[in-house]
Amino acid sequence: MIRIQNIWKKFGDKSVHRGITFDVLDKQTTVVLGRSGGGKSVLLKMIIGLIKPDAGTIEVDGKDVTKMGYKELRALRFKFGFLFQGAALFDSMTVGENIALSLRRHTGWTEKQIAESIRYALHVVGLDNVEQIMPSSLSGGMKKRVGLARAIALTPRYILYDEPTTGLDMETADGINLLIREMRTKLGITSIVVTHDIHSAFVVGDRFAILENGATLLTGTREEIQNSENEEVRKYINSSLPIQDGRHS
Amino acid sequence: MSVSIAPPIPERHTQYANHGLLSFFAAIGDYSSAFFGHLGRYCSVMWWMIRNVHNAREYSRNIYQQMVIIGNDSIPIVVFVSAFVGMVTAVQSAYQLYDWIPRAVVGSLVVKSVLLELTPLMTALVLAGKVGATITAELGTMRVTEQIDALEALAFDSISFLITPRVLAGILMFPVLIIFGDLVAILGGLIGSVTVANIPATAFINGMKNSFETRDALFGIIKANFFGFTITSVACYEGYFVEGGSEGVGRATMGTVVLTCLAVVVMDFVLASVLL
Repeated sequence: MIRIQNIWKKFGDKSVHRGITFDVLDKQTTVVLGRSGGGKSVLLKMIIGLIKPDAGTIEVDGKDVTKMGYKELRALRFKFGFLFQGAALFDSMTVGENIALSLRRHTGWTEKQIAESIRYALHVVGLDNVEQIMPSSLSGGMKKRVGLARAIALTPRYILYDEPTTGLDMETADGINLLIREMRTKLGITSIVVTHDIHSAFVVGDRFAILENGATLLTGTREEIQNSENEEVRKYINSSLPIQDGRHS
Repeated sequence: MSVSIAPPIPERHTQYANHGLLSFFAAIGDYSSAFFGHLGRYCSVMWWMIRNVHNAREYSRNIYQQMVIIGNDSIPIVVFVSAFVGMVTAVQSAYQLYDWIPRAVVGSLVVKSVLLELTPLMTALVLAGKVGATITAELGTMRVTEQIDALEALAFDSISFLITPRVLAGILMFPVLIIFGDLVAILGGLIGSVTVANIPATAFINGMKNSFETRDALFGIIKANFFGFTITSVACYEGYFVEGGSEGVGRATMGTVVLTCLAVVVMDFVLASVLL
């Protein structure tokens, strides 16, 4: 379980977080919704200790990440897979080498075992025989799939998704959404998805946290969000929904 | 590396922008604090690198790759520059010498100048542009595309993985390049002397033999170690902490070239003062 409590963060004069609080329950997908530039990606990086908050605590399995030293943080990161917004594939390596990198470094596996793991991870995300391709030759959707394959290669307990469908067409985005759901249903992975795409959010999410002006506006299940009487929540949901035939879908 | 080891760089204060003398002192304060902020962060990265240098063994493939990029790939430009440095030194030495001074002195001048000063300095300045700019652009792009964050998220020590191999490769390969450059420059000097200044090859070689001292060559190699460390470490620092997207990468790359060229000439003077 991940418990985020009263997180505050400033960059220069700009306050990004002003008391964010919510819990991420085990084997569920929690979607963090909020406007672009609202510090959602920063929040994900805080969870694995890449950025430290100015105040507040982030507990992962009962241990406070904000008080961890570097060795503890490295140990913590084994529990996490991270899908970055642009996939962040190492562009000097092939797809296979991208996935093999952490396996070679952190496991004592033979090259044969590593090759099998790469094939399996790629198969899970719906890609086969792409090990020798360079990332620059992949489409945006394929890069995200490879990024996800890299994230799951070490069988993490948690996966953090940073804007997984941003920049993708509807069909590719639906494919990624399906994969995120499968990570929970098939592999039992706890996930946090950061997005401003409310359509995707409702497809993949079990629980939701809506951020507004750097603070948590509301947390709850899909029904609780959809039935909320809070005017700000209603405004956020309605303004974020894609418009089809002149009406919100 | 978590950002926690890196002290923040102080921000510039602009509230005194229109207050004459106050703004002058405020600017001095801002630049001083920014300078010491960068210096502190650079030192903390170097300390981290030294403290975890044993990790570099796990990334030996990276060191080999960087040795090829910094060393092998720089040979053509080092050969080109050194050959012309040697030829120009020979031709200008011959021009400046009076007729009654033995022509063999040209060989002495060339070997002394090349080993002590010209090859190490010229090679370092050229490599500050080639190697320094490449490293900064590469790491800077990795930073803005979140590849460095991805390495950290995969539980890698990104400093040991990215910076240590480049700095070690610089320290190891710069002396090799400068030894190579010395040989080419002396050969260039011989060719320049014979073809342009009409000095017999035997006279040039005799002059060279008479004035050659091993400590001169060693001095050049020691300088090369310092230059290699400075150029690669500053380039890594600039690239690793890039901010501001592709514009930031461009700015950092330019900063690396300027900073490393200045550092090389200052260090050249300091080492000459201390070691000679």
